[in-house]
Amino acid sequence: MQCLSAPGVSLTDEIAGEKTDEKVEQSMNEVVATLSEPTTPPVGDASVGQAKIEWVRRHSPVLNGFVRKTLADGALTGVRIAVVVHLEAKTAFLATVLADAGAEVIVAGSNPRTTNGDVVEALRAQGLTVVAEPDGDYDSWERELLAAADYAPDYIIDDGAELTMRMAQFRPDLYQRLQGVSEETTTGTSRLHAMSAAGKLPFKTLTANDARCKHLFDNKFGTGQTTLQALLNLTNRQIAGARVVVVGYGYVGRGIAQYAQAMGARTFVIETDPVRALEAHMDGHTIGAAKDVLPTATMVVTATGGMRAIGEADFPYLRDDVVLANAGHHDLEVDVDALAAASTLTTEPRTNIVTYRLGDRDIHVLSGGALVNIAGGSGHPVEIMDLTFAVQGLGIHYLATTDLADGVHIIPKHLDDAIAAAKLDSLGVTLDEVRPEQEDDSADWLEGIPSA
Amino acid sequence: MTALVSDTVTTSEGAGRIAWALRGMPVLKSIEKRLTEAGTLVGLRIGVALVLEPKTANLALALNRAGADVSVYCVGRNTDDRVASALADAGLQVFAEEGAGDERDLELARDFLRTSPDIILDDGAALIRLAHREFPELVATMLGAAEETTSGVRPLRAMNDEGALHLPVIAVNDAKTKYLFDNVYGTGQSCVMAMLDITNLQLAGRNVVVIGYGWVGTGVAKHAAAMGARVIVSELDPIKALQALHDGYRVLSLADAAPQAEVIFAATGIAGVVTEAHLSGLPTGAIICTAGGGAFELPMSYLDALGTGRIVREAVTEYTLPSGKTVQVISEGDCLNCADAEGNPIEVMDMSLSLQALAAEQIATEATSLTSGVYPISVDAENAVAVIRLHHEGATLEPLTDELTAAMRSW
Repeated sequence: MQCLSAPGVSLTDEIAGEKTDEKVEQSMNEVVATLSEPTTPPVGDASVGQAKIEWVRRHSPVLNGFVRKTLADGALTGVRIAVVVHLEAKTAFLATVLADAGAEVIVAGSNPRTTNGDVVEALRAQGLTVVAEPDGDYDSWERELLAAADYAPDYIIDDGAELTMRMAQFRPDLYQRLQGVSEETTTGTSRLHAMSAAGKLPFKTLTANDARCKHLFDNKFGTGQTTLQALLNLTNRQIAGARVVVVGYGYVGRGIAQYAQAMGARTFVIETDPVRALEAHMDGHTIGAAKDVLPTATMVVTATGGMRAIGEADFPYLRDDVVLANAGHHDLEVDVDALAAASTLTTEPRTNIVTYRLGDRDIHVLSGGALVNIAGGSGHPVEIMDLTFAVQGLGIHYLATTDLADGVHIIPKHLDDAIAAAKLDSLGVTLDEVRPEQEDDSADWLEGIPSA
Repeated sequence: MTALVSDTVTTSEGAGRIAWALRGMPVLKSIEKRLTEAGTLVGLRIGVALVLEPKTANLALALNRAGADVSVYCVGRNTDDRVASALADAGLQVFAEEGAGDERDLELARDFLRTSPDIILDDGAALIRLAHREFPELVATMLGAAEETTSGVRPLRAMNDEGALHLPVIAVNDAKTKYLFDNVYGTGQSCVMAMLDITNLQLAGRNVVVIGYGWVGTGVAKHAAAMGARVIVSELDPIKALQALHDGYRVLSLADAAPQAEVIFAATGIAGVVTEAHLSGLPTGAIICTAGGGAFELPMSYLDALGTGRIVREAVTEYTLPSGKTVQVISEGDCLNCADAEGNPIEVMDMSLSLQALAAEQIATEATSLTSGVYPISVDAENAVAVIRLHHEGATLEPLTDELTAAMRSW
């Protein structure tokens, strides 16, 4: 594989009207030939990035063992895969596992604030194509995603369906020749379902988020732990005795509330779904409407996956000196734009903290409202991403080797189970099997019931 | 979000961080008000010799605003230059240079003592001891000192026993509003979170061995368990060990626990608690940290002599043992929350540092009646800190009625 580091290389002109794979392949090769040397200065230290990836490898028994073995059957040889996930060491390790299995990997970031320059250089040094640069903004990120699209990927490992959506909108021809997408998040899953319902999803997709080995661990334990870490690390505040409001009680919200409670915070939950609200109540959190619980909060974390969970209507309830952070996909889960518009004075007291003055109250927002555990921390724990990326790696292999109808699918149970079994195996744990006499006796009594 | 850049008012980074910390320090603000109104510290020279970072900077500034003439000293490795320059801008005399070596640190310490402080607020008793060694004429004129840590109070008591302490010293560390909170919640939270931040790993499902079940060990065990760890406590005191058992942890000697010890926190403050023999019993890849104490708790000279150490990640050194197994030492064995994180959280330092201010008050008001020796802080001061913090959190206390007083005294 050659190194292609020039962002924004467009193949659309070459392939307009000629959508056969051979043509695309030919165009690719021409571009590769002319751009085999990096044309931009390094954006980081490759050896530092390599050390970070090596640390991930050591703590990724599933991806480095079971997944690597499964992918070694040649099914991914020459398959072009765009990996569009927050670009740091764990994502990079997934990309190298796919590349080692023979895939042509194009790596882009799923958020302009979360790309790590050292890791970018380490991947480039290994010959992977990276179209992301660190310290970007939304404009540069748009260009990067379109550059990834222009490599005409066969498959996408997507986050928030960010690349899938853009290909549909801006690269319709390349979108038509996509073979499949494996999607990481709850937000992206909703988007794929919407596209499918509208009849605008002409290929098969897998929602990794629906795998139990993903949402039961990544969303809950991964985001829960690291959101607390980022919150405390960025502010140097104490959690014992803090009053933490969690907005949204999905898996992410559950995890944040659980860790905050365990570390000594008083926890409050805002939820619009009555069943989830009742669950939060039974988990020992205080439930209430925004107007009732926000005035007590010293810290507020949004985890709805939607937009404007804390918006203009909620600002009057926020107390002076409250810290707002977001753990959901959208940077606008805390409506930072509305906050900035309403603010009479904006200051930056510490790195990654911006303070907005509303009347006589100071409202602090962490990491500009971006995912705080990634933009303001080092992302999920390695062990968690080992499971999540095992789902993604096996998912792409499953898509590439299985005949599926166009639309949205879930990874089959046997693969989900195999991931958990591989993780337990790495821990030296053995499980019991169900003995026949332990099974329910429904077969016996069903026999005695006369047929209708 | 475009609005951010254009509207952002830039303050100096150090001043910004100091102001951020002050937001979480309601107790110190209240004590400052009380000292200012009473004028207790007016004209006194106070030397602050604590780790130089935003929280202690607020103590120095509060004492200054209350009328004291404040100078600040800190060793180079614990100095944050941004904070030091912000204090200098505020008119304090600063004897601290980030990254200064031992020799320069000593020069700075001597210059600091030459400002002839009436009161020294010390950390580890380093400056109190230097003053006794090299500036006896200063010690003779000083009103007293206060000491922050367990490890500083110990040598002061030893000096006093041998008649070598010539100052009254308030043992701030022994205040209940210090060790029951700072050591447990402050060091516990910050060490466990620093370990997670440094490694990007999980504690959920891991076997974590906490050596020592003192206040720091209690806090580390509590926060590690909260993060999902299965905690094993190693302790030589049977009562503390029994407490650990009742708190829901397994209790095993370090040798017995070693084969399962995926992560170790040494929290004893005692030299040599982890030995070469313990290391050989660990599973490969075990992670070792110290919480509260320092590298002296670990067999660092043995590890360094192996010559196999290599940095595998920022603040993580991996050593290959002769058996071929590896161990990973965090922050070169130093207390990881200070070495590679930001120390204790603000709210808990608000309490500890407020006690320092109250110790200065106690020395200033009782100077004439105090002879040389190590004294506890007054119960009133201890309680004042708790009352102010509770009030700030909207908590209310049960009033002590005459009836209750009578009931408690009845026999």
